[in-house]
Amino acid sequence: MGTMRRAGALVALVASTALVTAACSGGGGGGGPSGDGNVTITWWHNGTGEPLLGLWQDVADEFEADHPGVTVEVSAVQNEELQKTKIPAAMQAGNPPDLFQQWGGGELADQVAAGKVMDITDQVADELDLIGGSAAGWQVEGRTYGLPFSLGVEGFWYSKAMFAQAGITTPPTTMDELNDAVQKLKDAGLVPIVVGAKDGWPAAHYWYNFALRSCSTDTMKQAGVDFTFDDPCFVEAGDRLQEFLDTSPFQEGFLGTSAQQGATSSAGLLANGKAAMELMGHWNPGVMGGLTEDGQGLGDDLGWFPFPAVDGGAGDPDAALGGGDGFSCSAQAPPECVELLKYIASVDVQKRFAESGAGLPVTQGAETSVTDPNMKTLLDFRNNAAYVQLWLDVAYGNTIGGALNEAVANMFAGQGTAQDIVDAMTTAAADR
Amino acid sequence: MSREPVAVTAGPAADPAGRAPAGRPAGAPSRPVVRPGRRRADRRRLLEIALFAGPAVLVYVLFVLVPIGLAAYYSVFRWNGLEPLTDFVGLDNYVRAFTDPVFLGALGHNAFFVVMSLVVQLPVALAVALLLNRKMRGRTAFRTIVFIPYVLSEVIAGVTWLLILQPDGLMDRVLEGVGLGGLVQLWLADRTVVLWTVLAVISWKYIGLAIILFLAGLQGVPEELHEAASIDGASWWQVQRRITLPLLGPTIRIWMFLSIIGSLQLFDMVWVMTGGGPANASNTMATYMIDRGFRRSQFGYGSAVAVILFVVSLVAAVFYQRFVLRRDTEGALTGKGHRR
Amino acid sequence: MTAAAAPGATTDPRGAPRRRPVRWSGPLVYALALAVVAVTAVPVVYVILGGFRSNGQLAAHPVGWPSPWITDNYVRVLTSSAFWSQVLASTVTALVATGGVVALGVGAAFVLARYQFRGREGLYTFFTLGLLFPLSVAILPLYLLLRNLGLLGSLAGVAIPQIAFALPVTIIILRPFLQAIPQELEDAASIDGCGRLGFFWRILLPLSGPGLVTVGVLAFVTSWNAYLLPLLVLNDPATFTLPLGVQAFSTQYSQDTAAILAFTSLAMLPALLFFTLAERRIVGGLTGAVKG
Repeated sequence: MGTMRRAGALVALVASTALVTAACSGGGGGGGPSGDGNVTITWWHNGTGEPLLGLWQDVADEFEADHPGVTVEVSAVQNEELQKTKIPAAMQAGNPPDLFQQWGGGELADQVAAGKVMDITDQVADELDLIGGSAAGWQVEGRTYGLPFSLGVEGFWYSKAMFAQAGITTPPTTMDELNDAVQKLKDAGLVPIVVGAKDGWPAAHYWYNFALRSCSTDTMKQAGVDFTFDDPCFVEAGDRLQEFLDTSPFQEGFLGTSAQQGATSSAGLLANGKAAMELMGHWNPGVMGGLTEDGQGLGDDLGWFPFPAVDGGAGDPDAALGGGDGFSCSAQAPPECVELLKYIASVDVQKRFAESGAGLPVTQGAETSVTDPNMKTLLDFRNNAAYVQLWLDVAYGNTIGGALNEAVANMFAGQGTAQDIVDAMTTAAADR
Repeated sequence: MSREPVAVTAGPAADPAGRAPAGRPAGAPSRPVVRPGRRRADRRRLLEIALFAGPAVLVYVLFVLVPIGLAAYYSVFRWNGLEPLTDFVGLDNYVRAFTDPVFLGALGHNAFFVVMSLVVQLPVALAVALLLNRKMRGRTAFRTIVFIPYVLSEVIAGVTWLLILQPDGLMDRVLEGVGLGGLVQLWLADRTVVLWTVLAVISWKYIGLAIILFLAGLQGVPEELHEAASIDGASWWQVQRRITLPLLGPTIRIWMFLSIIGSLQLFDMVWVMTGGGPANASNTMATYMIDRGFRRSQFGYGSAVAVILFVVSLVAAVFYQRFVLRRDTEGALTGKGHRR
Repeated sequence: MTAAAAPGATTDPRGAPRRRPVRWSGPLVYALALAVVAVTAVPVVYVILGGFRSNGQLAAHPVGWPSPWITDNYVRVLTSSAFWSQVLASTVTALVATGGVVALGVGAAFVLARYQFRGREGLYTFFTLGLLFPLSVAILPLYLLLRNLGLLGSLAGVAIPQIAFALPVTIIILRPFLQAIPQELEDAASIDGCGRLGFFWRILLPLSGPGLVTVGVLAFVTSWNAYLLPLLVLNDPATFTLPLGVQAFSTQYSQDTAAILAFTSLAMLPALLFFTLAERRIVGGLTGAVKG
């Protein structure tokens, strides 16, 4: 009967369409050598917008030109999705990209423990000389598993005009001075500090800084290795944070404000003159610029000062909290991947990176390309810092980091205590 | 082919878009007399069943059930996603979920959404559908516009409302504009208000579906019944209560089922608008699963929560089908005359 | 007495022109309709208008008319080749997924509706299980499976799982439709020597048009808006679908909100268009499902 053949034909059509579309497809993650001696490197990064998108594409093109027979397939993926969804899934499937974005810290440690990342210590000795201490976040037990290309530190970005209006003559250097400044701003009818607590981590950064000021450098370093938080300084950090929160320094509805997502974020509020200060990383001027009509943000009105010293804290007042970006090669990647990584870390590319304003370069010799005065201040502070601690939610990995961020957010919402924060971290550490 | 489709409308139980004879085709196929050819007929029947349903079953098993099974398998391990699956922990993950106050809170929030979605959307959609069940100009345009929120992706809807609900955003301005400024709240930042805010946004998104369904159901209520009733002296309200609503029963009950399942699985909009916060005030089981499980590299735990979510949905679905929809499939209410 | 009339009926059974007494006055009804439309459409209008503003405007005044009207966002999106390749990719994927779901679903629903066999209700329940499990959890084993089948990186690797996951809803909606077709037709077909397959192809399929269109539209919209699966499966930017295209406006530290709003407004259009074209048949379609 004709219909039977037709039914079968329909099924066959659908099936063959599927197969044809499958056949005419690209591959998955890793490239590697193909039969004719050509090498393909897959490169996943988070620079979805300019200037990074263009910069990395140029780097890929130049590398291909210098290395005949090598093809670089670049894929830009949104940051959160890349870090939390795409790379983990690819690694779990045993199908990782060759060169991929690496934020360092505990996440890197987990990847290394599972044997997913290439040990490049022996091949990057020269580069390490030029990068120095900034590479620490990308090293595990003395071996190097990736190279950073940007490392920034955190501090308070503030509006000079608003400070002047409130009668604050010099930026605060101690917590007492900061509390004074907050009070003066309130008296002048201005919003002292803006925070994007909805996203969790902007609130958590306050605790990180208090921990850095309350705990000695050795304690902080040790915590990043063995993930135990028994030292009472960690509880002290929470107590100090609670005291600070009790001065009500934030904008109304801060629990619902996002950090950077568009118009009504904390960055947007600062950029449009609706608040005086924000504790944020080195990227803030760029973000703020995008949120104002003229694209300039606060322009010359913008100032920066580091997190104040805490009276009685065991921490080093010159220690800095920061974080950055880098790249790693997967354990299965071809050797050309390391060459590409070295090229990215080279002085020339780092200079272009610095000029683009997308971050703070790490390779010595490139910082001359940083021109913005605030960025220069940051750069000096970072280079002179006795110790740069990676963001704690990166340093401790996302199991502990997630628990930590949530516990601090609870404290901001009036739902948690200093001890709860440490307990949450300890419980999470047991689950790793 | 000699028969034409239009012949379908002639028979008594013959509305192609309407009635389903309850669960069984009207009139069972007559049993063939036992003959030697019967086995061949049976085999041929099996072949037909395999041919028609086979591809669907194959694709479904391969791409849906197998992954689900595997994901359920992960739930008895502690697994960070990178190392091989070696750390077998039995039911530990399940125990952990049920002893975590945050998870129990999420479960409570889901229950809130299940109940309140029905309470809020059902009367409003019914009222709108009843009052608008009239010939009116622009009815088609109206139906299209009402359905638009349903067509939008949940993520986009969430992002839009996030913008609108900011302090001094569109919502606040509108309220102030109509003189209701006193009602302004911190819609997404206040822990006591946030659940209601999310409920309102969800209702905005899905009420169009309810209205469309009920409107369509109302189209099928025969004009003659209304006329007869009002000739007998019934008021408009009595007509609705005694005739229209009961006939809408099956429609309402199917919609309720879809609403319940949807409320249990709620994720995208909550994630985008509040991330489950502030301080876990708006968590659902799904946001809890993604946040605590997958974002914290605890895939075994996340899978366990997913299985719990599945079981809860299954229990709700089975319970509902058994006790609520059974009346419909037994033909209690489907069987009234209906002519177009 | 309501004034609802069957669509198109303007005469009563005796052939006399039907009077249409309206009990509640028109203005009230229209006011209510307007209110519903306002609540429904205003957020969408907000998105569309937002695309005509700059980020600076949005930050300084979250609520307000574009001043000045900035066409740059829309122009940028419309003139970028990435946008159009994404439209193409989304369209191809959605059409393949829709076609596949309808073809496979109608076959399974046919079996569940017109055949009597042991375990039929079990098979039906078996299909509904897929509705109850969140996709995001099954995504990891699914990703592994796709890799083993070599479907990663291709649109087929997106479309085929979408077909599979859309099958439960499709079958639930289609089964009552197919059950509603009277047995007499089937008997008549077999008398004419057509057999089950002929009945399926020549009678059943044409008659279940509204149902097929309904599930087709639902499948199309679901595929159009899908994000997680394409994110994991597709690596080559040339194959990205529209939801992935939004990433271009969202960097590590910031979001180009105005561009996102413009992009979103444009990306919505094809799905809305599809729905509008099929709207009449959909309403008929869902009616049939719920009566069953």
